[in-house]
Amino acid sequence: MIEMIRAELFKLRKRRMTWILLIILAAFFCLMFFATYGITSSPPDRMPGEAVDAIRASLQFPDAFNMIFSTAGTIGTLLLIILVASSIGNEYGWGTVRQVLTRRGIRYYFVISKLVSFIIIAVIGLLISVIIGFILALITSNLIGSINWDFMTASYIGGLFEKFGWTLFSLLPYILLATFFAFLGRSAIAGIGGGLGFYFIEAIAVGIFNQAGGWLAKIPDYLIEPNVSALVPSSQFAQGPFTSASTLPSTLNASLTIAVYCVVFIVISLYMFKKRDITA
Amino acid sequence: MEKNGDLIVRTEHLTKCFGKLVAVDDLNLEIRKGEVFGFLGPNGSGKSTTMGMMLGLIAPTSGTVELFGLNIQNYLPKILQRIGAVTESIGFYPYLSGRDNLKYIARITGGISSSRIKEVLELVELSGREKDKFSNYSLGMKQRLAIACALLNGPEFVVLDEPTNGLDPAGMKEIRELIIRLGQEGKTIFLNSHLLHEVEQVCRRVAIIKQGKVITQGLVKDLMKKGDTLQIKVNEPEKAMTVLKNINWITSIVREDDKLLIGVKAEKYAEISAVLAKESIFVTEMRAKENTLEEFFLEMTEERIND
Repeated sequence: MIEMIRAELFKLRKRRMTWILLIILAAFFCLMFFATYGITSSPPDRMPGEAVDAIRASLQFPDAFNMIFSTAGTIGTLLLIILVASSIGNEYGWGTVRQVLTRRGIRYYFVISKLVSFIIIAVIGLLISVIIGFILALITSNLIGSINWDFMTASYIGGLFEKFGWTLFSLLPYILLATFFAFLGRSAIAGIGGGLGFYFIEAIAVGIFNQAGGWLAKIPDYLIEPNVSALVPSSQFAQGPFTSASTLPSTLNASLTIAVYCVVFIVISLYMFKKRDITA
Repeated sequence: MEKNGDLIVRTEHLTKCFGKLVAVDDLNLEIRKGEVFGFLGPNGSGKSTTMGMMLGLIAPTSGTVELFGLNIQNYLPKILQRIGAVTESIGFYPYLSGRDNLKYIARITGGISSSRIKEVLELVELSGREKDKFSNYSLGMKQRLAIACALLNGPEFVVLDEPTNGLDPAGMKEIRELIIRLGQEGKTIFLNSHLLHEVEQVCRRVAIIKQGKVITQGLVKDLMKKGDTLQIKVNEPEKAMTVLKNINWITSIVREDDKLLIGVKAEKYAEISAVLAKESIFVTEMRAKENTLEEFFLEMTEERIND
């Protein structure tokens, strides 16, 4: 199994797409920080002063960490859906799934090794996001004013690790969602379309349910996006477009719901892959 | 436990249905150690489905497949360690080089050294192009890489699905020679091909499959004899045809100018001469014409269509 995970990572490392997605991640971070800084340096006349201050604070330490994690969560989700779906879907398109399965007969090894390698890539991607975000926040903090590092206590650093963990956990259902759709449709297009489609349609549905009120407003508590938003540290900009802090589920609800989604997606993906014939 | 050391493949009543379509129907095959076995059939006859079931890619609807005396449903990982396969669609990662593709396969297989990778690349004459991306390979090079990949783990049993697809005549010849060499080295080979000339040259035994059913199997030399045709020259070919058409043990009769090609078993040759003499038709030339495997294959498959 370890050899299969290593082999998966070898493929991902050698693939140009992985590096392109990493460049997109870095570019998105730069855009997010510098565009936001642009707004604060010459804010529109009708923007209230408190709003400008809040935006400015999000570009400075310590608030900048929230900006880093929420940005990584948002863009990371989209990029991971693309990477995961194409990695699985293309195995069918290129016929490599046959090659692999005629080497290792245990099918769940194939699925598990892929999932573990995606999680490793997610950890690496998140680490890189934090590093890029930290450098960018250093720049914007210095541009706005001086940095006071007094907040950086041991407990604060511990809190940062906790935020890292929750952000990573919130990426899992989307990794598994893309996995599920790619196995279901046996193609990269199905995985990307299904994963991104679900992501955006769900966000719209959450907004509609929240607006509808009554029992319908309870439904988002059991969907993915509101629960992810409840776990990922939020900044004023990176929060889901239809989810406000007041409507978010509790941390316990969020953790359990996401865990249930993860288990369901894994079980269905494994079952489908095990049961289906691999034809040409 | 390995039950019969000499038997590499045994399928018993192997059947696969895709919905209402019966792709493989009650297939019984036995392949012994060291045999180069040809599996012939028209497109869509169930050859690849059979191979898929042998490799654990497709689950049989009923029946069993045993390789090395082990049931594939229970011992697939163990069995696959002893098999090398070139499947119908060549599956490699286009963004990896030929060598990196083999490196990847070596990693997931386990126990394969980098010197072995070099060795198989040399064997299929890809050494100079090993660093090129797979997407830049010609069809022939892709096929060679697939063969290199199949041989990577030093398999005892090699399954080849159309291994000369896309190769030029020189490349086809090289692969044929490679198959013969592998057979001589004691490897058991299952060759799925529609190139009858190729099968005739490299295989000792063949099975012909049509619409999921094996319609005949046996030694190539026997099958070619089985379909013997008698070629005669007579003074009155038209009259001879009319006479011979009424004989029920003659399977076919075709006129080619002044010659008649008669489908008949060897032991009946003398009777033909006697029958014609009775009708005052004189045979001026008579000789047995041995079929090629291609002729036999067409005869068999067309016969079944007519049935």
